Amino acid sequence: MSSEKLLPGRATKQNPLPSSSTSHAKAATIPSELILQIFKYVTSTADLKSCILVCKSWCRCGVELLWHKPVFTNNASLIKLLITLSRNTQTFQYSLLIRRLNFSFMGEDISDQILARLSSCERLERLTLGGCRRLTDVGLLKLLEKSDGLVALDVSDIENLTDSVVELVGERCRRLQGLNVSMCKKISDKGIMVVASKCRSLRRIKLSNCDNITDESVIVLAKNCPHLLELDLTNCNQITNKAIKPVFENCTQLRELRLACCAHLTDESFTRTTPSLFEQLRVLDLTSCTLITDQTLFKIVHSAPKLRNLVLAKCGNITDEGVYHITRLGKHLHYLHLGHCYRITDHSITHLARHCTRLRYLDLACCNQLTDASVFELSNLPKLRRIGLVKCALITDQAIFALIENRVVAHTLERVHLSYCVNLTINAVLDLINFCYRLTHLSLTGVHAFLRPDVQRFCRPPPKEFTAHQRQVFCVFSGKGVKDLRAYLNNAFIGQQRGRITGGVGNAEDQVVQQPITTGADIEDSVISEAEGVGGDISESGEGDNDTGRDRGSSRHRSRTMNPDGDEVDVGI
Amino acid sequence: MYFYKIDVGETDQSIPLPNVNEKVLRKVLEWCEHHVNDPQPTNDDDDSRRRNTEIDDWDQRFLNVEQDMLFEIILAANYLDIKPLLDIGCKTVANMIKGKSPEEIRSTFNIVNDFTPEEEEQIRKENEWAEDR
Repeated sequence: MSSEKLLPGRATKQNPLPSSSTSHAKAATIPSELILQIFKYVTSTADLKSCILVCKSWCRCGVELLWHKPVFTNNASLIKLLITLSRNTQTFQYSLLIRRLNFSFMGEDISDQILARLSSCERLERLTLGGCRRLTDVGLLKLLEKSDGLVALDVSDIENLTDSVVELVGERCRRLQGLNVSMCKKISDKGIMVVASKCRSLRRIKLSNCDNITDESVIVLAKNCPHLLELDLTNCNQITNKAIKPVFENCTQLRELRLACCAHLTDESFTRTTPSLFEQLRVLDLTSCTLITDQTLFKIVHSAPKLRNLVLAKCGNITDEGVYHITRLGKHLHYLHLGHCYRITDHSITHLARHCTRLRYLDLACCNQLTDASVFELSNLPKLRRIGLVKCALITDQAIFALIENRVVAHTLERVHLSYCVNLTINAVLDLINFCYRLTHLSLTGVHAFLRPDVQRFCRPPPKEFTAHQRQVFCVFSGKGVKDLRAYLNNAFIGQQRGRITGGVGNAEDQVVQQPITTGADIEDSVISEAEGVGGDISESGEGDNDTGRDRGSSRHRSRTMNPDGDEVDVGI
Repeated sequence: MYFYKIDVGETDQSIPLPNVNEKVLRKVLEWCEHHVNDPQPTNDDDDSRRRNTEIDDWDQRFLNVEQDMLFEIILAANYLDIKPLLDIGCKTVANMIKGKSPEEIRSTFNIVNDFTPEEEEQIRKENEWAEDR
């Protein structure tokens, strides 16, 4: 290694084993392989820096670790690193120690000039630049000139980027395994074809919102990259059956396939019916593939029996029959989105609840035929964390009481979406929030009982783009808002129990609770044992059961492109 | 789990351990006996173990020994390939490093500074970017 050459201190010639007779192990004499092992647990950059200043042998051990994946807390520390790299005399050839760079947290601070100054990092393996929107081809071409060992590249959301960067990567980086060009609107088949034909070990490729992409490059990808694990074509709206067929024929190792908004796709895309051919497939997103029917579900469940996340939002042709097919996934299914599959009825949901008992996340927004009967069944799901029932307008308080009575979901339910379930009363919802102590999100937009200033003051501010009317009916509680709502309603309730008219509550009070609640003890328990709320935003993607968990940076894009369950979007209707 | 691997009493074969003295071996056996029912670590855990610098109470007390003994245990765990013990040993040392200046680290572990002042100053400068967060 360069370190030996550049820092010719004493060679590390310690005895690798303790001697039985003397047995004087000291930090200064233990072998460098173990020093390195210790340094792996020194997680703070600052501590590691202290270590390399201790002595020469610690320096040699620690310096590679420190530079392997430099972490910057701010722009100033990055500048300091660039200064080191430009020094004429360096103790080590630092630029060759850098293997991973992640600038996705520094976004706009990163310029082409900065990349150019890093061009001596010839041994880069992973480069993450997602959201560094000021960058252009110039900086990237310079940086990638010599780094032919690149394994993963994330340039998502860099609008200016063109095919020339992708072509260069394809030509030079034959070991490339991961490429994320999501939201790079200028990228086209021209670039992707080069990568697809040259980088045979490609495993993950994200092309979401690259709307220039056509069947042509996807076909080459499918034929040349048999090891594909992840393919994201969200919003690539030129894609047709012609591209997806070869994907299913060749890429049998797929784990994640995202085809949301590829609206041309029909049942013909999914012809394979070999049982369990796609044993590895865990995530399939077909949001807004409006032409597909129950037939597709039959085939998919047959050949991908271990699907964990299935997104079928806005696939309006899906009927009860399709849901019956889905139930064959049984315990494998954790996440199911059926929003706007308005043909579905209580029959199939009942079946679903009885067979897919490990469901954690279920969205049934706008399935407006569903009644309390569905909710009765769903209240038996022992792992249900999130339930979306927006615009299931037939649902009444009885459904809520059923959820509570069963006592199964009390410990699991975290997010409940009830917007436009217009029959709900405060009475039932108060029971729900007292009962589900983990609740961190509750949406009640358009539910008349909650459209009162004294309650709405706990809800979070409506999005800026909302109209006056939308603001009026907006009612979403998250994090602290849920807690405050719970406390307020309980106070109002206690006040009324004692027949006291408290000034703060005013005439709203008689609407609050009509009858005494029988689960008084539960109220106190759950108030006391309330878990801390976990932040606020509605994130539609995975909520923790994200199949991969590996690629944190990309969730940003995913949540932007996923279809929300209708809470906010449908507010005006 | 690791206990029977090195438990020579159970079989007729004896395994020579020339590099581990009796005092250390006893200590290592004590640890193995306590952890005999631990689940087998999987490869998946490798990364999460690395990130987690916590050590459970019993292990913490177990490793609350003279520094020489601590390093002996680490060396023995390495030699005998007892990964979980090696991990907590290394974590313990890493925790002793946390928040210390180079000089404090040297005096904690009795290490001689073999840099010339110029070398030390240059390395300090070159790595200035790695500041506290």
